[in-house]
Amino acid sequence: MPKNKVLPIEEAMSHIKSGMSIAIGGFIGQGDPLTLIDYLKTMDVSDLTIYENDAGFGQRGTVELVNQGKVKKIVASHVGTTPDIAKAMNEGRLVVEATPQGTLAEMLRCGGAGLGGFLTPTGIGTIAEEGKQVVEVDGKPYILVPAVRCDIALVRSHRGDTWGNLIYRGTSRNFNGPAAMCADYVIAEVENLYTMGELDPEAIHTSGIFVDAVVRANVSYCTVREAPLESATRSK
Amino acid sequence: MASAKQIIAQRAAGELKDGQIINLGIGLPTMIANYVPAGVDVVFQTENGGIGVGPAPAPGCEDRDRANAGNQPISLIAGGSYFDSATSFAMIRGGHVDATFLGTLQVDEEGNIANWIVPGGMLAGMGGAMDLVTGSKIVHIVTEHCARDGSTKLMKQCTFPLTGAKEADVIITERAVLRRFPDKGWVLEEVAVGYTLDDIANCTHLAYTVADDVKLNAFGGDSGDASRSVLGL
Repeated sequence: MPKNKVLPIEEAMSHIKSGMSIAIGGFIGQGDPLTLIDYLKTMDVSDLTIYENDAGFGQRGTVELVNQGKVKKIVASHVGTTPDIAKAMNEGRLVVEATPQGTLAEMLRCGGAGLGGFLTPTGIGTIAEEGKQVVEVDGKPYILVPAVRCDIALVRSHRGDTWGNLIYRGTSRNFNGPAAMCADYVIAEVENLYTMGELDPEAIHTSGIFVDAVVRANVSYCTVREAPLESATRSK
Repeated sequence: MASAKQIIAQRAAGELKDGQIINLGIGLPTMIANYVPAGVDVVFQTENGGIGVGPAPAPGCEDRDRANAGNQPISLIAGGSYFDSATSFAMIRGGHVDATFLGTLQVDEEGNIANWIVPGGMLAGMGGAMDLVTGSKIVHIVTEHCARDGSTKLMKQCTFPLTGAKEADVIITERAVLRRFPDKGWVLEEVAVGYTLDDIANCTHLAYTVADDVKLNAFGGDSGDASRSVLGL
């Protein structure tokens, strides 16, 4: 019988320490793990390095952690939806490493897949090439991008079971899929929690093998609430 | 009278070919979906993880989990699907997207594109643009011919950091259409209503030749705005 990984949020999040690297799923608010980010706001940690497509939207999301001074560096493809990020950069409080979106997704996927890195044609002849090794295959140049393995990943899913099998919804899947693979300790906030066997095995997006802790998403953040609130207790 | 952006979007839609898979950038490029010619069936991919993007949902029917890369609410047409970002960029880098349309700050003689950062300006990031210009079979630059200060965006050589090297295939502005060929470089194919060949020469710094069959008064002007709001944006 697979292990029940449902944990109180404080227990799951206690794995996060200062100086760690954290991959975060979501795309400018779509599928952002806001329950976990909100909890992280209450924790006494600093010097975090974040791998995320962006820093949230407006005043909401990872930008809040930046404004609290918890983050030293963000590796992201686009931070234009959170004006406070540019302010933090200009004031020297934050380093942003701009990375092409497809490259960032693949860095995380490869980190989870046990690969050392990958060759991409994206960014050849641009500053994305700077400091990177260029490898020719069949006469065509590619940038060698090292994979990224993070200490922690924070993701959000629409459905999940107690072992951590996850099913996302619509475009909220985005970086949650790759992020869920790439870390030593993966915490998933789940909107609708099911017992093992209730989810269709053919429909699982992220296998529970990648997930270490399952946390109930804050009900007010649920897009579509399906399961009764008691389903977590039902599964114990 | 249509605005410059409407003229560009309408002319750009004329490049769409039946059966193509298309990715549209945020802003002006997204407007192209409103001008898909009748009889042309294209499928829109959105890089945050969807294909088969359909009309915007009716007010009140928006869904937070169904949005495009600009965070506008979307629906999917029958046969559409969702996927994660790694899969989305496998599609894009892997050459499975037929054409992309995106705006620019600068484009130059060699087809270099600079559209993601102004040196000394506020950093936003390149998002998916570097992958899109690298992986798409045809890269359309859709932009107003000149920047707000009146300087041309069609330059001899880009001065801003590049998004892609030698990737631009077609430039569509409110004044002209230019296409780049491996042997001939940029060729001026069309001039919009209200402009002459001299006008285009005066506001274009990249080298080009004029097509033998260049079309004058080819688009724009009072031809009307044929928007039919395919995506309702």
